[in-house]
Amino acid sequence: MGAGQDVGRSCILVSIAGKNVMLDCGMHMGFNDDRRFPDFSYITQNGRLTDFLDCVIISHFHLDHCGALPYFSEMVGYDGPIYMTHPTQAICPILLEDYRKIAVDKKGEANFFTSQMIKDCMKKVVAVHLHQTVQVDDELEIKAYYAGHVLGAAMFQIKVGSESVVYTGDYNMTPDRHLGAAWVDKCRPSLLISESTYATTIRDSKRCRERDFLKKVHETVERGGKVLIPVFALGRAQELCILLETFWERMNLKVPIYFSTGLTEKANHYYKLFITWTNQKIRKTFVQRNMFEFKHIKAFDRAFADNPGPMVVFATPGMLHAGQSLQIFRKWAGNEKNMVIMPGYCVQGTVGHKILSGQRKLEMEGRQVLEVKMQVEYMSFSAHADAKGIMQLVGQAEPDSVLLVHGEAKKMEFLRQKIEQEFRVSCYMPANGETVTLPTSPSIPVGISLGLLKREMAQGLLPEAKKLRLLHGTLIMKDSSFRLVSSEQALKELGLAEHQLRFTCRVHLQDTRKEQEMALRVYSHLKSTLQGHCVQHLPDGSVTVESILIQAAAHSEDPGTKVLLVSWTYQDEELGSFLTALLKKGLPQTPS
Amino acid sequence: MDPECARLLPALCAVLADPSQAVADDTCLEKLLDWFKTVTEAGSSLLLLQENPCLVDLLTHVLDLKPQNVSPRVLSFSLCLAGTFAAQEDCFEYLQQGQLLLGLFGEAGPLSWAAWSVPIVRSGWIRGLRSLAQHPSALHFLGDSGAVDALFSLQGDSSLFVASAASQLLVHILALSMQGKAAGSSSLQGSAWPACAQKIVDHVEACLCSTAAPQVTQALNVLTTTFGRCHNPWTEVLWGQLGPLVAHLLENEPIPAAHSLVDLLLSVARSGPRDMAVGGSSSPVFASADCGLWETTARMLSCLSPSQAGPLALGTLKLQNCPQALRSQAFGVLLQPLVCILRATAQAPGPPGVLDETTEGSSMTVDTLLSSKSACVGLLCQTLAHLEELQPLPQRPLHWPQTLLVEAAVIILKLCEGSVAPSSSEGGRLCGALAGCVRVQRAALDFLGTLSQGATSQELMLQVFAVLLETLESPASSPTVLKKAFQATLRWLLDSSLPPSSLDLGLPAPLFLKELFPVLQKRLCSPCWEVRDSALEFLTHLTACWGGEADFREVLLASEVPKLTWQLLRDPESYVRASAVTAMGRLSSQGLQAASESSGHLEVQQGLVGELLHILSVDSEGFPRRAVARVFTEWLRDSHADVARDTEWFVATVLPMVSRDLDWEVRAQGLELVQVFLAQTLGQSSPHCPYVVTLPKASPPSPLPEVLRTLCQLQVFDFAFRALFDCDRPVAQKACDLLLFLKDKTAPCSGLQEPGESSDVTSVEATLQRWQAGEQGQPLSTLEPKEVLAALRSMDLEGLQSRLAESSDHVEKSPQSLLQDVLATVAVLEENVADCY
Repeated sequence: MGAGQDVGRSCILVSIAGKNVMLDCGMHMGFNDDRRFPDFSYITQNGRLTDFLDCVIISHFHLDHCGALPYFSEMVGYDGPIYMTHPTQAICPILLEDYRKIAVDKKGEANFFTSQMIKDCMKKVVAVHLHQTVQVDDELEIKAYYAGHVLGAAMFQIKVGSESVVYTGDYNMTPDRHLGAAWVDKCRPSLLISESTYATTIRDSKRCRERDFLKKVHETVERGGKVLIPVFALGRAQELCILLETFWERMNLKVPIYFSTGLTEKANHYYKLFITWTNQKIRKTFVQRNMFEFKHIKAFDRAFADNPGPMVVFATPGMLHAGQSLQIFRKWAGNEKNMVIMPGYCVQGTVGHKILSGQRKLEMEGRQVLEVKMQVEYMSFSAHADAKGIMQLVGQAEPDSVLLVHGEAKKMEFLRQKIEQEFRVSCYMPANGETVTLPTSPSIPVGISLGLLKREMAQGLLPEAKKLRLLHGTLIMKDSSFRLVSSEQALKELGLAEHQLRFTCRVHLQDTRKEQEMALRVYSHLKSTLQGHCVQHLPDGSVTVESILIQAAAHSEDPGTKVLLVSWTYQDEELGSFLTALLKKGLPQTPS
Repeated sequence: MDPECARLLPALCAVLADPSQAVADDTCLEKLLDWFKTVTEAGSSLLLLQENPCLVDLLTHVLDLKPQNVSPRVLSFSLCLAGTFAAQEDCFEYLQQGQLLLGLFGEAGPLSWAAWSVPIVRSGWIRGLRSLAQHPSALHFLGDSGAVDALFSLQGDSSLFVASAASQLLVHILALSMQGKAAGSSSLQGSAWPACAQKIVDHVEACLCSTAAPQVTQALNVLTTTFGRCHNPWTEVLWGQLGPLVAHLLENEPIPAAHSLVDLLLSVARSGPRDMAVGGSSSPVFASADCGLWETTARMLSCLSPSQAGPLALGTLKLQNCPQALRSQAFGVLLQPLVCILRATAQAPGPPGVLDETTEGSSMTVDTLLSSKSACVGLLCQTLAHLEELQPLPQRPLHWPQTLLVEAAVIILKLCEGSVAPSSSEGGRLCGALAGCVRVQRAALDFLGTLSQGATSQELMLQVFAVLLETLESPASSPTVLKKAFQATLRWLLDSSLPPSSLDLGLPAPLFLKELFPVLQKRLCSPCWEVRDSALEFLTHLTACWGGEADFREVLLASEVPKLTWQLLRDPESYVRASAVTAMGRLSSQGLQAASESSGHLEVQQGLVGELLHILSVDSEGFPRRAVARVFTEWLRDSHADVARDTEWFVATVLPMVSRDLDWEVRAQGLELVQVFLAQTLGQSSPHCPYVVTLPKASPPSPLPEVLRTLCQLQVFDFAFRALFDCDRPVAQKACDLLLFLKDKTAPCSGLQEPGESSDVTSVEATLQRWQAGEQGQPLSTLEPKEVLAALRSMDLEGLQSRLAESSDHVEKSPQSLLQDVLATVAVLEENVADCY
């Protein structure tokens, strides 16, 4: 439904052993109309969504993974359970609220989800712990694994019986300043659904990027300029804060750093609350010094923007499309001493996108033109696994097959081939709207009756653990259980009458002798050939071998041909086939 | 087209035509198509192409490129674009002269290229055709180009989007080819269908006779959409021709594509002419004897599995014109699972009439209910949801078995709770399947809530309250179940139409309250924030409706609930704090705060104002602060005792806090509060509706100059002027409305201004201009009424209002901005490789 060969709104529907699970419910920031949300009408053509879907799983709090959730649950009408980790449940509403405010603020959209809807949606969430097996119902279970990427991001294993799917969401295989690396155990899922944002990239060392970032900020404030860093309330902002705080401390810098909109406190509250989700270093040093209690970063007031002298300001929103970050940008854009650092992706139609694409004269409201003289820098800090990381995860999980999402088609194609070559598994990359069907071999437990087992034992040799043995019986499927019983038992249980199945065959032989003589010849031939069997010649002229009955008859049209009617039971199938083949070869010539 | 856009267009086309250039954002091409659609809808496409030859060049170039060189996205875009232009017949002819359309949509075009394997190309091809299929020339083209055959196969495409679009397009082509052929059914008999329509009808016919289920589904989908979108004489003929084939499908075992078949029958039944349907005729056009729609529906209801028959039964009951016998049968299908539950648990089987109708096929329902847990849960949830949907509709059956339904909902909830001990083995198995099943519990509570509107006997009502209480009390109830239980309880309490004053009569609702409050108390202390919040919401609603009732007040005040609510003002979860603020605001409005033994009522009251002001000034999250601002506004509007004692002090205390708030919704709410204050001091703004009855005011408004002085002292203007240049548009909009109201009200006062006093105004205006420029740090000198009046007069508030009405991103959203972005991005694309959030 989304994230098929693109990086937009993630929304994947998985049907596994009769259970339907929706993975992520994201929105596309690039659209302002109903195209921003996945088209949920494709989930099921018949019946209500709540009846069709067994659950929804949200991998992390980024809007391209959870932005459509209140719309889906409160406006489209999904009323079932939603699973996410505890930090995601805590942070999700903040971002959704931010997004709602911008949509309402910017566009004055009336038909949009409200704060109450966000709250009602969050009340439907069942929060899960890492590595906790959660039973959605009797058959479906899910389990979260650490994914890095952002606070609370998780990969999910979805399991029904012996079949399972692992969905990675967005993940990072290398630890960063505040989070650890993703990890999943050797769970050998039937399918691994992996993001592939950096399918062809081997990311340069994160240290280099960080050094570069600090150098740029430092140079600007040294020459008296102001630095604006537009960010979203949570996520990358915290990482950059830690980075600057440590640098300021080390260099003993006095230039003020501000964080706008009063979000620091709230964000830091969550980082403290979910300290176990951060990396080892932060956890270790937590007792001595809490990394999220910043000495140098203070709350921003609107009036500070006019203060002379250098400063660094983190302001929301991250794409310069509304609110405070845009207001500060407009003030500072005209001075070449200043700098704006965009630490993430910007969608078309935002000021952030324009300046990143090099536009320097921006038309503003009322035909005003804003000349951008300040320096514009782009610093990607997004934390995704690179090609090496993705391969590493596939190796870790050992899936039967892989499906790539959340990436560009061309790059995915390259990675797909690599995965298929290296791991000898099938790899798929469906486009949005496409369905991939995977055959699986589920193991279904079957109960066997003791009587049948004993009888089979009595007939054959002692069982050997590693040697397969053939066993005859009747499989009864009832009340969603499978039992193997003897055919007599099955007939009795099901109240059915027994029928005899006989195979018949006609063998034509060129022979002018009478039928009785013919039968006698057959008898002698078989008697001599089949020495271990009981061959009889009955008074009515027919011949029997065990249950096999042979009668000779004249051909209705051709007097020179005799017809042997052979019939046998299902139990003597092997002997019956052998006999027929033997008779078809003809009878031995008798010395006349 | 905007000249600037026309200037940029050739460069854009050049970028798109160059396979080495990639277009950055996948939304750009979509937005470009939106724009071209707007342009072509507003004027002549032919003219557009003639004035901008680069557009045709782009299409030609895409065709001339080697198929392997074309980017699938650009190819898809070009197909859509060509279709958009060709929607106008003259432009269609123009493009056809160069065989461009045949190249793009014909068999030798992308249809045969490798890029066809990419779904967006197929999707673009269909979208293009859908756009151009508007006129007779297009119809000929579709027939000759082989497009219709391609569409037949695309119905089974691996992409759901493509398959669905193909099916829709076939329906559109069918309707287009039948346009103007509404001359009665007789002219359409036999081979009278136009060629294109004949081809589609033949295909549908063949598919209906196919043994492959996907083919049957495709045919049924085409027919469903056809009957869903129009009613014409020809659709009637179509049903006459295909109806028997559809009916024939029911003879298969199992019935192929049952869901699609249900959709089709309902679509046909709904497609009767509206006037006849409303007229209540039991035999609309499509149900005439030879068409056999009702017979087919009846047969289908009886032979489908219970879960498949449910949607058909509901759909049938929603129809306004179907025969009574069929309605009864359909209702029987819906009721059956509930009747089975009641029987299995040996409950009284309700009125005999209903059960008689439901006995047929009940064994199949029992089998489904007992076959497995998931089947049982699925069928019950579906049935409860269907009945819930039906309950409020005017078409619901006249004999609505309220008692049976309430009993069933109650017993289902008891089964989920595990608090029923059925004697039969079926009952035992149901118990096993439903015990602890949250899904069924949720559905049953929703359904039970809807049933509150019907008349229920007192005895049964007691049962309802008992089961609700049981659910609310149960330690096993999940937060979502508790929320729904609170909602259902609220509905039953309010709809039971028994005012609490009838407590002495011993009627259920008031008695229930006494048992409810201890449970509510417990839930207010729940470790789950969701539960605390739901309990607070419940309390707020109940107080709003019953706050004035003596018995309710008594029970509430005797409980710990007000004290606990107060404590929740300091809850660690911001959502709960916000709900507690709202609840306390409501309790206080009704004088329902508990006075502790040590403090008097007044102290408690003042304590509450202080507590709320504290939240407003220090709470780190927006929700509680917003809730406080709303409560204060309500208090001011309702002349709450604490506010009315000294309104000016109240406004003077609240305004500085809200005006500095970081959350724009708090600031906007603050302006709302000012608006209420102004309405009270200056009188309402002139009512929009001339028939509004204006109530006599308690105290006549004070003289204007005096009011203005007060407003200045309270710094109302300072707040409003500052808010006018707020970076958040809704705040600015609200401030603008407020100042316009003031301007309107103060117009008679213009005499206040005396000549020669304009110097002060200049300084005010200067400050306002600096604010507008973003320098909000500048203080505004203490305002005098005359300066305010002068400022109001000199400002173009009307102009500002219309500017603010535009979305703040309207410049960035303009087509010119889009073109600039696409062009600018090409140069830097390689630097900033795909990134995301």
